[in-house]
This record gives sequence, C-alpha cells and structure tokens, in this order.
Amino acid sequence: MNVYAETIVYLIMAVVSLLSVVAVYLAIVERDLIKAVIYSALQSGFYAVLYYLLMAPDIVLVYLPVAVGLIPGVLIVLISKTERWEKE
Amino acid sequence: MDAEFINTYLLLVTLTSLLANAIISIYGLFFKPHYTKKVIALTILSDTMNTFAIYLGYRTWVNGVNPRPPVLTSTPTEKSISEFTARAVDPLPQALVLTAVVIGLAVTLFLVFLGYILYTHYKTLDMREIKKLKG
Repeated sequence: MNVYAETIVYLIMAVVSLLSVVAVYLAIVERDLIKAVIYSALQSGFYAVLYYLLMAPDIVLVYLPVAVGLIPGVLIVLISKTERWEKE
Repeated sequence: MDAEFINTYLLLVTLTSLLANAIISIYGLFFKPHYTKKVIALTILSDTMNTFAIYLGYRTWVNGVNPRPPVLTSTPTEKSISEFTARAVDPLPQALVLTAVVIGLAVTLFLVFLGYILYTHYKTLDMREIKKLKG
C-alpha cells in the first residue's frame, strides 16, 4: 500500500510540472499581454502545488499571495497604464 | 515493472520539466522584444530557480515512510528529535527561498515602475523601437 502512495505522490508531481511547462510556453508565446500574465499566474499555481508536495508548506503560504495575487495585479496595472499588445 | 524504477522516472520527469521551464523563460527574457514580456519571463525564471533549490532539499521516502515538513510541533524529546532528523526535509533551502520570494517581489515592483517611466518618456515599451530613439 505504502509503495503505491509514494508512486502516486511522484505521479502528481510529474503531471503538475508538465502542466507548468505548457503554461510557461503559452505565457511566453502569447501576444496579448493580459493573457500572458494570466498564464504566468496559472504557472505559479502549479508551482505552489509542487512546493506543497515537496514538503514546504511555509513557502506555499508566502508564495501563493505573492505570485498569484500581487505580481499579476501589479503587472496588470502596468499594462493598463501602457500598451496591451506585443507587436510582431 | 519495478516500483523503484517508476519512482526514479517520475522524479526525472519533474526535474526535466523544470529545466525546460528555465530554458523557455531564458529564451523569453533575451529574445522577446516587449518590456512587460521580459518582466514576466524574469519572474518565471526566478520561480524556477527557487523550485530547483527546494527540490535539492527534498528527501525521498525511506522504506515506505513519507518525509515530513521541517517543523517540530511538540516539546522535543530525544525520541522525537531522532525521528525528526530521520524524516524531515532540509529546512535551509526553504529559508533561503522564503527570502528570495520576497526579494523577487521587490525587484518586480522596481522593474514595473521603471517600465512606467520608460513609457512616459518614449511612448512605447517595444525594445526595438526604444533602441532606435534618442533623447
């Protein structure tokens, strides 16, 4: 039983990090900067799950409000003050 | 299939995708022309490096016993301390990453205000156009 529990935890870690690769790729490729910020917040959420599974719950408590709340909020304020589209 | 082989393979998948994240964000940092996109890539790169540090401090399961967060919740006795050192993950990378997350927030705020001043000065944030302009 314990052997399966170990494998399941590692499987969740692998799936979450693969999904974070997809989110990072979309955040870099996307031309609409608001969407890019939202993809980067998604990547931060996956990283928070990864931190929790890597036995760092104190990092999750700090990282989640900073990287999912504050940094996207400040970047969206910057985008609303400047320009939204990245030119070709 | 051997369970240990599958576990090693899954941990290797995690490490490889973190490496892929680092490579993609370095590409975005150097080759994307827009300033805001460069800031986003920088935050992703610093998060990925923090995750590498946390990953280094991780301890795999020993004989089916799971690792614990490095926190002692009861009054330390000799038995609980020996159990703690046998099971808990490394607390040092976690302390360093906690500091690095907050420093990364400060750096990002500075870069955001720098970008706002760049925009008021040049009326664009595209780095190819800013390179051409003078004054």
